[in-house]
Amino acid sequence: MSVDPGELAAYRVCKYLVQSIVEHPDEVKVKVDDSGERRQLEVSVADGDMGRVIGKRGRVANAIRTVVRAAAVQDDAEVDVEFLD
Amino acid sequence: MEWVETTGDSITEAKAAAVDLLGIAADEAEFEIINEERKNIFGRVKDQARIRARVRPTKPPPKQERSDRGRGRRRTGEGGRSSGGGTKSKSQGAGAGKSRRDSAKSDSGRPAETKAKPRPKSEPARPRASSSADADHKGESVTESMSLQRQGEVMSEFLGGMLRAFELEGRIEGAEVDESTLEVNIAGPSLGLLVGPRGNTLRAVQELARTVVQRKSGGDAEGRVRIDVDGYRERRRTALSAFATEVADRVRETGAEQALEPMSAADRKIVHDTVTDLDGVDTISEGSEPDRRVVIVPAD
Repeated sequence: MSVDPGELAAYRVCKYLVQSIVEHPDEVKVKVDDSGERRQLEVSVADGDMGRVIGKRGRVANAIRTVVRAAAVQDDAEVDVEFLD
Repeated sequence: MEWVETTGDSITEAKAAAVDLLGIAADEAEFEIINEERKNIFGRVKDQARIRARVRPTKPPPKQERSDRGRGRRRTGEGGRSSGGGTKSKSQGAGAGKSRRDSAKSDSGRPAETKAKPRPKSEPARPRASSSADADHKGESVTESMSLQRQGEVMSEFLGGMLRAFELEGRIEGAEVDESTLEVNIAGPSLGLLVGPRGNTLRAVQELARTVVQRKSGGDAEGRVRIDVDGYRERRRTALSAFATEVADRVRETGAEQALEPMSAADRKIVHDTVTDLDGVDTISEGSEPDRRVVIVPAD
């Protein structure tokens, strides 16, 4: 099944949050993977920006996950957010 | 930044209370222990633990000053915790950031001695002399760090974009709580999603908004901006306080203690604060996060 990612609140919110935090918003990519049981958002960012996205002790990453999951409620599908190195 | 003083049945609890009061995460705070709790022979807390806390200056001061100020401190501070009062804080920044931060906090003094405020990169250099003299930094911080007003704007913009990404209807309102606290409220009819179970989502939003401000200000932002969703915090406070009062009344009548469900530090604080003002009852906390809970007990 293929969905236009822009239709997914989880995708839009995820991309927006990550772009708000990094130094290079243009290089933020979010891929929607619907092949598994649970929808997965795979986030990649410019070299050197990953630290910002993860944050101390993963606090920022976890906050992103929490808010993206809230957004996913609007899509009626749970999501996992993965940050790719 | 202002210091706040809090008490609790343990240092941990006092810290949790301070963190809630400041509206920040534990590792952004700087703590000073005033005294530890004292228990009577039955293990019940007799004297509460008392600590002092403030928002840790987010950016380390310029190197030159640091070595000046740090002189003579190194030896005592080496073991992590210096003598007596013991500044202790969970700093865990990566690599270089850590040691810089540690030194920045190791000489925390009396409340009046606000740390020298570092300059944001964007602003023209200011005479250095003023910052090492521990005079009045109030005025200085206003000119040097990102103003509260500006932080509010940055957050409002961030939240507005977030609402659009959610495709939710909402209005962003800012209000000044006091001179160092601004509240940004997202008002709207159906924003429960942004609050989440036990306010979890709201906390995450707050965390992200703060991160955005930190990035934009180079980590040098004074004061606090608190985010609320349609008055949730205030409603939660009122409801929780009423509930705690009810339970406390029951405990007083029956003489039997009653444990409440696990709550966040912020919520526990509301319960503690409410019950402390009531006669014949006391509160204790038990369990460890995230299952820490308040128990309302008959007073001795």
